[in-house]
Formats: sequence, C-alpha cells, structure tokens
Amino acid sequence: MTDLPRRGVGFAVGAALTCGFIAMAIVAQFWTPYDPGILDIVDKLHAPDRHHWFGTDQLGRDVLSMIMAGARKSVGVALLSVAIGVSVGVPAGLVAAARGGAADEIIMRGNDVIFAFPSLLLAILITAVFGPGAVIAVIAIGIFNIPVFARVTRGGALGLWTRDYTLAARVAGKGWALISAEHILPNLLGLLLVQGTIQFSLGVLAEASLAYVGLGAQPPTPSWGRMLNDAQTLTALSPSLALYPGCAVLLFVLGLNLLGDGLRSRWNR
Amino acid sequence: MKRAVLTGCALLTALVLAMLPNFAPAAGRVTVGIQLEPPILDPTASPASAISEALYGNLFQGLVQFAADGSVLPQLAASWDVSADGLTYTFHLRPGVRFHDGRPFDASAAKFSLGRALAADSVNPQKARLGAVRDIDAVDEHTLKISLSRRSGGLLQSLAWGSFVMVSPESAGSNAGHPVGTGPFRFSEWRRGDSLTLVRNPDYWGTPAALDQATFKFIADPGAAYAALMAGDVDAFGNYPAPESFAQFAADPRFAVFVGTTEGETILSLNNRRPPLNNLLVRRAIAHALDRRAIIDGAMFGYGTPIGSHFPPRSPAYVDLTNEYPHDVAAAKGLLAQAGYPEGFAVSLKLPPPSYARRSGEIIAAQLAEVGIHAAIENLEWAQWLDQVFARHDFDMSVVMHAEPMDYDIYARDDYYFGYSNADFKALIASLEDTVDAAQRSRLLQRVQRKIAADAVNGFLFQYPELSVWNAHLQALRFDNLLGVIDLTQARYTEAAAAAQTLAAAAKPQSFRSVGWLAAVAVLVLMIAAARRFGVVFLGGRLTVLIGSLIAATAIVFLIVQVLPGDPVRYMMGLQADPGAMSALRHQLGLDVAPLGRYARWAFGLLHGDFGMSYTYRIPVARLIADRLQVSLPLAIYALLLSTAVAFPLGLIAAARRGRAGDWALTGIMQIGLALPNFWLGLLLVLLFAVTLHWVSAGGFPGWSAGVWPAVRALTLPAIALAAPQAAILARVLRGALIETLHEDYIRTARAKGAGEWQVLWRHALPNALVAALTILGMQFSFLLAGGVIIENVFFLPGLGRLVFQAIVQRDLIVVQSVVVILVMAAVLVTFAVDLSYVLVNPRLRVALEA
Repeated sequence: MTDLPRRGVGFAVGAALTCGFIAMAIVAQFWTPYDPGILDIVDKLHAPDRHHWFGTDQLGRDVLSMIMAGARKSVGVALLSVAIGVSVGVPAGLVAAARGGAADEIIMRGNDVIFAFPSLLLAILITAVFGPGAVIAVIAIGIFNIPVFARVTRGGALGLWTRDYTLAARVAGKGWALISAEHILPNLLGLLLVQGTIQFSLGVLAEASLAYVGLGAQPPTPSWGRMLNDAQTLTALSPSLALYPGCAVLLFVLGLNLLGDGLRSRWNR
Repeated sequence: MKRAVLTGCALLTALVLAMLPNFAPAAGRVTVGIQLEPPILDPTASPASAISEALYGNLFQGLVQFAADGSVLPQLAASWDVSADGLTYTFHLRPGVRFHDGRPFDASAAKFSLGRALAADSVNPQKARLGAVRDIDAVDEHTLKISLSRRSGGLLQSLAWGSFVMVSPESAGSNAGHPVGTGPFRFSEWRRGDSLTLVRNPDYWGTPAALDQATFKFIADPGAAYAALMAGDVDAFGNYPAPESFAQFAADPRFAVFVGTTEGETILSLNNRRPPLNNLLVRRAIAHALDRRAIIDGAMFGYGTPIGSHFPPRSPAYVDLTNEYPHDVAAAKGLLAQAGYPEGFAVSLKLPPPSYARRSGEIIAAQLAEVGIHAAIENLEWAQWLDQVFARHDFDMSVVMHAEPMDYDIYARDDYYFGYSNADFKALIASLEDTVDAAQRSRLLQRVQRKIAADAVNGFLFQYPELSVWNAHLQALRFDNLLGVIDLTQARYTEAAAAAQTLAAAAKPQSFRSVGWLAAVAVLVLMIAAARRFGVVFLGGRLTVLIGSLIAATAIVFLIVQVLPGDPVRYMMGLQADPGAMSALRHQLGLDVAPLGRYARWAFGLLHGDFGMSYTYRIPVARLIADRLQVSLPLAIYALLLSTAVAFPLGLIAAARRGRAGDWALTGIMQIGLALPNFWLGLLLVLLFAVTLHWVSAGGFPGWSAGVWPAVRALTLPAIALAAPQAAILARVLRGALIETLHEDYIRTARAKGAGEWQVLWRHALPNALVAALTILGMQFSFLLAGGVIIENVFFLPGLGRLVFQAIVQRDLIVVQSVVVILVMAAVLVTFAVDLSYVLVNPRLRVALEA
C-alpha cells in the first residue's frame, strides 16, 4: 500500500521530536546555558547573538535557557496529569467492563458529568480556590484525563471479555479482578500507550493555555505559556520573543501527535 | 467540483473586500481606553478608582476639587469661609447649576448628598473621613453650613474626593446604573464588559465640552491595549498598562504621550507584626538591599520616581528621603548579622495581579537573595490578596500600590494590614488633624515622612507614573491630577473630520428570543421524531439520565464555588472600607444565609430563568448572560461553520488523494493545525492583519446594533483562531472515517458498477462517514462555547468566557455559578441531541432498534 512509507516518515519525525524535547527537559534538570532565574536588567531584550542563541527577554533572562527549563514544566505537568488519568481511569474502566450493571452505569454517568464540564473553566475555578501553580494545573488537567482513560479502557476491555482465553479463565474459576489484572490489562497496553501519547500532547497544550492566562507554574519557574503572555506586549520591541515559545509548543505537540499516530497504525496492523 | 471551487473563491474574495476599513472616525467623538471597568457607576457607593477615573469631573462634580499640587479649588462651591475656631465651614454655592435630570442644584441637594453619604446605613466607603461632621445645614438656597464636633484639617481635601460628589435627590438611588451629576457630560450607555459612553451636556453651567461623545473602553490586558492603540480602536489610553511599549508611542509621530505622576506609592509592604520583620534592624537591612533604580528600569522600563517614604514627590510638603537607606549590600548584610540573622532567612512574597507588582516582585526577590533573604513568590488574584494579605494579615511581604491621595494616615491605624503601631506617630497624626494653618501642616507632614522612613515600616520603591497615550489629533486631554481622573472637559480635535457627525443611536441589543424559540421548536420536533422511532421507554430513559446529569452538575458547581475563599464584599469595598458598610452590603446581597438555603433558592430560580443578582454589576445575571451570549453564541457558530467549511473539503480531498502527494501535504497541514495553540494563532493573526495591515480592528465588538456586517467582521479573526484546531481535528476524523468506509463491500460493488472515485466518495462513503463527523461536531460546539475564554481575552470580546473569568477574579459567586451551569447544561443538551440524531442518521442503528 502506498501509505506505508509515509507512515514511517511521520512516525520517525514524531519520535525524533518527542525524544528531542524530553531529552531537553532531562538535560535542563541538570544544566542550562544560563540560569533562567538570573535577572540581568542591563542586558534585556538582546537580539539573538553568539552569547545568547535566542536572545534575552525583558528582564535579561536567556531565552534558550528558559525554553529548556520550560520543557521541564511541560513534560512534568503533562506526564503527571496522564499518570492521574491512568491510575484512576484505567481501574475504573476495568471495573465497569468486568462488573457491568450498576457499577458500569455509575462509572459511565460519572464520566459524562466530568466530560460535560468545560475543562478550562473548571481549571480556572480550581486554581481560584487553591491558588495558581504547577501542581494545581496537574490536578485540573488530570481530572479530565480520567474519563478518557476510563472510556477507552472500558471499550477495549469489553471486547476482550468475549475472547476465548478470558472465557477459559472464568471457567477455571478466576475472579473478575484477577482476570482483569492478568489477562485484560496486558492486552490493553498498546491501546493505552496510544491514548497516553494523545493525552500527553493535549496536556502540553493545556498546560500552555493555563500558563498563558497565568494559572500555571508561577515565576520565577519558566513556562512556555507565560513566556508567550509576557511576549505579547513586546512584539514591536522584540518579535522573536513570541516565536520561540510558540514554536516550542507547536513542535512538541506535533511530535507527540505524529508519534501517537505512528504507534496506533503499528498496533492496528 | 469546479463550481464549488469557484464559488468558494468568490466568497473568499468578497469576504476579504468587505473586511477593508471604510470610514475615518467622526470628529467630536473620542474613544478612551482604560484598564479597569467600574463595577458600578456611583462613586459614592464603591471605592473602585475606575469609577472616578471615567466620571469624576466629566459627569460628577463635588463642592470642591483638587488642583494638581494637592491644594483645594472651588467647584460647585464658589467660595467658603472657615470660622476662627475651625468648627464651622460655610460654603457659598454656585448659582444656575442643574443636574442632568433637570433638578436645580442648591443647598438642599448638597445637604442631601452629604447626609446620604454619612447616614448610618450608607455604603459610602469613605464616610469615616467626615467623621468630625456634626451637623449639615441648608441656610438658604445657595449657602451650606457644616458644623464639626472637632477640628478637622483634612475636611476640604476629603470633600474633593469622588466619594462626596453632589447627587440629585430625585435620582440618587439609580446612580449605580444610570448616573446623574452636574458635569459637562451626561450618561448615555453602559455596555457591561465592553464600554461606557457619555454625551455632551448642552445645559452645562460652565464652558461646554468640545466633544460630542466620549466612550470609555475597558481593556486590562497590556497586549490588547497595545494592539487597540496601534490599530486605532481607541484614540487615547489613560493609565496605559504596558510601559514596555510606551517608548514606541513616544517616538511615533502619530501619537502624543504624557509622562506624569500619580498619588500611587508603590511599596514593598512588610508585616511588622511577624518576626523577623518586626525587628527594626531587619527592616533597615531590607531597605539597604533594595536597588530602586533597577526595579524601576526592570518593572516599569524606566518610568516612575524613586521614593523614600509614603508621600508623593509632587506635593509641596515632600521631602526627599531616598538616601536614608542607599543601596548597599554590605550594609544590609551587616545589619542582618547585627540583628541575629547572619545566614539570612526565608519569607513569603505575595503579589497581586497587576504587572507592576509581578515584575517588581521578581526583581526584589533577586535583590534580597543577594543579601541572603530568600523570598518565595506567590502570585495571587485580587480576591485572594485581599483575603490573605489585607484581611487576615497572613503574609510576610507584598508589593502593592496605594492609590488614594494623602493616605499617610494608614500608618496610624493599628489594624492596617502591615501592622505598624507607634504612639509617637499617632500623636503626629492627631496634631495634624487639629491643624488648619497651611505652613504648620506642611511642617508636620515633613515630620510624618521622616518618622515613617526612620522606622523603615515598609520598603518604599517608587511613585507610580501616569503614562497616557493619545492620537496626536486630540488636544487638551488632561491626565495630570490627584485622583487619576481622565479629564475630557476641554478635549477637542485639531481638525474637523470630513465625515458627517452622527451619534450612534442607542438601540436596544437584539434579543435572541427568536433564536431561542426556534431552537426549542427544533428540539421538540427532534424529540417527537425520536419518540416515534424508538419508543417512549427508550426516550424516557435517556431523559432521566439527562435530568440526573443536570442536577448533578448544578450541585457540583455550587459546591466548588462555595468553597472559593475570599469575601466578595471585602473585594468590592476595597482597601479602605469600614466594617459597618460591609455588613450592610452583606445583608443587602443575602450572603448571611446558610449555604444550603442559598443553593435551594438558586436552583429553584434556575428553573424559571431567574439567575439571581450579580454582586459586582448589581443587575440580574440573566441580563448579563443574555448580553454576553450575543457575542459567544455567534462566535461559536461562526467558528463551527468555518471549521466545517474548511474541514470537509480538506478531509474529502485528502481521502480522495490518499497515499499521494496531495494527501501528504494536507495531512501535514492538519497535523500543524492540531498542534497550534489557538491563542498563539490569535496573536499572530492580530499582529498581521490588524496591527501591520490594518485590514480589521484588533478586537472589540461594536454590537449588533451597529449593523450585522461590522459585527461579523469583528468576530472573524477570533473565529479563525478558534476554528483552526477544530478544523484540523474534524478533517482528520473525516479522512479516517472516509478511508475506512472505502474498504466496505458496498463500495467495491459501486466501483465494480463503474462509479468514479468522486462519486464513490460523495454518494456512498460520505453519508456513512458523517456519523463520526456528527459526534465530533457536537463535542466541538460545547468546546467552542467554553474554549472561547482565552480567545475572548486576546481579542477583548465581551463574551461569556470573559464574563466568567472576570467574575471569578471579582468573586462574583452568582455569576460564576450561573455561567458555568449554563455552559454545562449546553454541553449536556448538545450531547443528548447528538446521541439522538446519531441514531436517526445511521440507518443500521435505526433498523437494530426497530427490530
């Protein structure tokens, strides 16, 4: 089929971009060209040059270092929010598929209620209650991952419950919990990985949005979304300030999407 | 196919042509941008400075007014005499003055105004300032006598404040929404969330205004303010919020700028009650650690005057104390060691929202770190700041600007948030109150400043600058005054515009009643069809689930919103409110009832369309929502249409050309669209089309009353920004669904029968792929309604998203509850409708159900 080579390219590009940004985040944990917290008002708004590859921002901070450090926040928040979604959603989905009946109804209705909430508004509400910060952003985004994973897990598990080996296990007397853990879950890993990648990319976008309106990581911790907000008023003085963080979000999410698509097509074969 | 492409191109061209700007603004009309929207329009019932900023002097006037240097000048009182003992003030009122409602201004009106302000149940935030007043007498038509119980040196100054403007006895009760004063401008219209419009008062007692109409537009976001000025949406901006782009306007011949000063002392407030800040040596060390120049350069881009105490530099009594504690890291460290903290210590630094506070805070934290003090920054919303810092004194350090003029007396209040309590200082203030002689007052004021500096009560940073920008065609706009007022009384254009001078008719906003009825009818038809198709039982089951979800949603929303910390009354009443006025307001708004009772009342009200009364705007929430829905609903529909119009052809072409170069390119575009943050796209669009090319305005919404085409034009860029990622998702889903159906048997049959590729796609594959598309469309609509929050802020559109965002910041609980509930109900209803239509559309499911 003529699709194949193209799919391969997409997957390769996606994997490269994703690994690139994750590597950037890990490296930034230990080293950045400059300390992104150091303010140097004298040096503010430098154009990109030998010393500062991406220039400096309005408080004299090195933009490249801030991008690298921002990657840490993006990766961290998105990863933790996916973890929340998986750790609560997957068991819920497994239970719903295994037990059916009332448990299924309750879990699915609960899903619907959470789905019905405009996620950004709920995130704003939560941050207004508990104060803005990266942790709150994680929780707010994570809550909306729960029904997604629950639904996906339930859908996949329902299909697997009709398989022969599951029936055999039931005949052999295994309880539903054990069957779910030992037989259903391992076969769902592929599906979950794909969904996890998608939710990861959505998490990066959501974190940028929340940070843009000021509800993400607080200063002096750098964050791409907040860099974009700061850059908005400086576009005449220094237009590149708005480009770097926006491109960073774009490329990272793009990479994750391509990776997810590539994984999905590999798994579906 | 060709026809479709041609029509598409024609439409696109028409759209582009229609977006080109047409006429220049008519002379005599001015639009002024201001940062904050007044919560109400009565300066005697709320301390919000935004009310005076727009209305003081223009619409309302007091007995006296401030000169630029702080002295008191006549206004509605032409002259006055003070008795020898200082206990009786006799004001001779100006004759021939009328209120905007026609009632003449005389001593009885003046007596009414002051009496209303000082009444026991009044919500006037400054009534404590006239605490010395014993009696107010209307001696004759133009003479007012005020008797005091003790001398009050600050009486005349207090009367100049916005809280004591003269109001008409007939109309005072409705001033909150429809202000009536004596000034050269009359109230015309207040579009909440968007703008406030005044028109010239032809019966003004003094020199009439040169302008016919003045509109104040509310733009808080620095980026949006910049874009609005550049794109010509506003002709002037008072208190411009983005100092970083100010120099650009100064250099641009299109604009004139004013750099002045205000009464706002920006300070690093220290909690004098808490160790280690209760130690004088520590506070002095902090003062030495601060480098004011660096803070002004970094946070305010060089604008602002350094101060050494809590007093404005432009006042004649000012004494320069900035060298009391010069920037000296070694001295700071030495003092800290002396105080017993050689290794420094850790404190919290809580910052309110404005950019001057956030930026200054970052720089101060870095400077303090140099001497070993670790300040942990916490960014708070205003409500949280008022609750934690101002009310509960739960803070170590904060950065805030004290905007009230001559407010040094806060250092004599024990319960004021930074907790300074000093007997010597209180004695100074008491003698100041007792002194009327100007020279003696000046000497005492100097001693006040020195005392505050000597005790290093707070870190004194800079006097907040007045940065104003306006179109060079405007003249005689005045910004340099004590109350931060935008004085339009003498503003005029330098050249008359060629365009005809027409005042926009204040038409009533078109109601969406008709649309609502249409939607209700459509839903009813759908439900009847559904009942016929798959039986009442099925439908009943789904309806029960629907109602259950709605109830659960309202309960959850109410629960979350009730947990929100912060007190709406405290937020509304501001930094200098007194407890009596606060509890009066609390009772007025019904906040003293138990939560369960409030929920029951609110939920029951929802059932018949009563959403309660907004705390901050004091009008029914239903009206607010209806107003905002006029923007959010069309925007969502517009974005939905755009995304569908783009996604369908994209998905179809990609599916038709799958595997080849065309598909590859289109899929690439889809991928980028998916990954693009929509607010970033919005930003880029504004910069390109509005600021650089001037094809469309940078944002704002002219209202449907200005015509359908201008309104749609205003929504175009935001709709594009919203639609782009949605279009990408839809296109991908469609392409995937189409490709999948192409593997089905009936397609093979159609092809075997000789159908061409496009016929196969259009007639056979598409209807089946529509199912997947429908589900996404339903989800997208509710997302678009709610996801507009960010886009509405980028383009300053007065929609639902912006409303709820502002309401959360303002702690307006009822509005927050109602808007979130409406959005949730919309989402649930749309899902419900999509579920039903899904079954109707898919023939296979239909058959299964009928079996």
